[in-house]
Amino acid sequence: MVSLPPNPYITDMHPILKDRRSLIVYLAAWLTLALMLTAMLALPGRVSWAAVLAFTLPLMFVYAFITLSAWYICKAFPLGVAPLARILVTNCLAAVFSSSLWVLAGFGWVAVLNTLQEGMIPPAWHIDSLPLLGSSGIVLFLLASAVSYLIAMFEASREAERNALQLRVLARESELKSLRAQIDPHFLFNSLNSISALTTVDPPAARAMTVKLAEFLRLSLRYGALDTISLTQEISLTTHFLAIEKIRHGNRLAITVEIDDAAADCRIAPLLLQPLVENAIRHGIDGLLGGGTIGINATRTGDQLHLCIENPVDAGALPKEGTGVGLDNVRRRIAGLYGTDGRITTLRDASRFTVRIDIPVRTPEEN
Amino acid sequence: MLRTIIVDDEDLARSVVREHLAAHRDIQVVAECSNGFEAVKAVAELSPDILFLDVQMPKLDGFEVIELMDPKPAVVFVTAYDSYALKAFEVHAVDYLLKPFSGERFTEALEHARARIAAPLPAGLTALMEDHRVHEAPLQRILVKNGASVVVIPSESIDYIEAEDDYVAVHSGGKRHLKQERLSELAQLLDPARFIRIHRSFILNIDRLARLETYAKDSRVAILKDGTRLPVSRSGHDRLREIL
Repeated sequence: MVSLPPNPYITDMHPILKDRRSLIVYLAAWLTLALMLTAMLALPGRVSWAAVLAFTLPLMFVYAFITLSAWYICKAFPLGVAPLARILVTNCLAAVFSSSLWVLAGFGWVAVLNTLQEGMIPPAWHIDSLPLLGSSGIVLFLLASAVSYLIAMFEASREAERNALQLRVLARESELKSLRAQIDPHFLFNSLNSISALTTVDPPAARAMTVKLAEFLRLSLRYGALDTISLTQEISLTTHFLAIEKIRHGNRLAITVEIDDAAADCRIAPLLLQPLVENAIRHGIDGLLGGGTIGINATRTGDQLHLCIENPVDAGALPKEGTGVGLDNVRRRIAGLYGTDGRITTLRDASRFTVRIDIPVRTPEEN
Repeated sequence: MLRTIIVDDEDLARSVVREHLAAHRDIQVVAECSNGFEAVKAVAELSPDILFLDVQMPKLDGFEVIELMDPKPAVVFVTAYDSYALKAFEVHAVDYLLKPFSGERFTEALEHARARIAAPLPAGLTALMEDHRVHEAPLQRILVKNGASVVVIPSESIDYIEAEDDYVAVHSGGKRHLKQERLSELAQLLDPARFIRIHRSFILNIDRLARLETYAKDSRVAILKDGTRLPVSRSGHDRLREIL
């Protein structure tokens, strides 16, 4: 199906007709204008105020709706798109045309009033007031045009603002998504390769590993969809991950986890530690002949949560491809979530690499 | 009988390859290695026909292992990363297996290795390909084979490099390491911001330069911080002036 471009004449309802409040305000403004016109016509004193009012009020009421057409001219010849000369000429012609129509309608109304009450509007007075009526009609139409262009400009800027905001939200969402998708696909390929090896060597172990892998994937999907999870949940995810890595690395990989009771319930962004643990293996344990121990440590002091991941590194190892990407992502996430309240620091000495995260505590009660 | 060595830091990954090889009567696994050092040593001692080689390993990666092997067996890379495929082609690997792989795919790789052993690449072609080798980043360390063991010299700890016939002597912290390579080739691989060809026979790490002494118009000597004196040619002096 081909979707048609929106037709501005049909889909764009006049902003003043859109809701009742703006229509009332609009008509009130016109009532003021009508009273001003009445005053100008009645001040010479040749016709009574009541008669002039009876003449101007309905005419102005009708004109209030005629001038609404200025909006559609504005939409058809938008400022900044159509040439300025063309906008001016079109609006002036429309003003003259509308005003003429309106003045002609005035003749009809005078006739009606005079049949209702003989001699209510003297024709001579009416002829004399024609220049004022005609010029008022033109001025009022042009005024309506000016207001229409102002409204259009206001709407355009608001629209642009809304679009920009929407883009920002979308960008942030997609960034968060990609940051969450931190699980290295090579981890999966290597795990599948291990399973492929185990299927003949040790079938029960192969089955156990598929179950572990499935549990890890399920957990990471479930947690990844949440805004925050408890530290205990994050650690359990990490433990699942490390259990799989332990099958691959055998004795080369050991893990110690120390979590303060006070820290266990704190809420953190899901999969915050995951990329760091992956790094600890890829850039640490993988490069060591004898492997080593990854230490995960969480403590709480007051309203601060401290997370610490450390791993041994080979002193002579070169930085591997992809170094820093996972770390940068974690850094960006912490900056996005906690602003200046969150901090991530890294320390590398000859044989150890340490990542330390300090973030404000968020417990279940505060969420 | 074809002799093979399996190199992978994971026991299970090696066992998959071993299992697939067991189906082929004419293949004998002569060694299994779990890191680059072991691999270099085993290849030197056992001179296998085929090497099944992981890329990411402790100490030396698969490419560094290849660099240090001489003569080079037919290499089949076995890795979970597809990003090294182009580089593997540049070092004339016969195949590139992505983990996990099927038995059929493994047999195919083995056939490629057999074909390569039956008809090695012509020497002219290998030389041509080596000349066109793409080097993304300057060399960060130089690997020198000393018998069956390997010495890793980080580039920042090199003082200077001297040409000696078909070899280069890498001087680092008072020690001298011989490596079979041409000085001109090495000059292109090293970081040009740090290593300057000051003479037909010398590359200098400019961090080590103490001062330059001029004796005659075209006779200059570079004095290193440890007192070593190296000759500087006229074009070498131009290059030095450019960088200093």
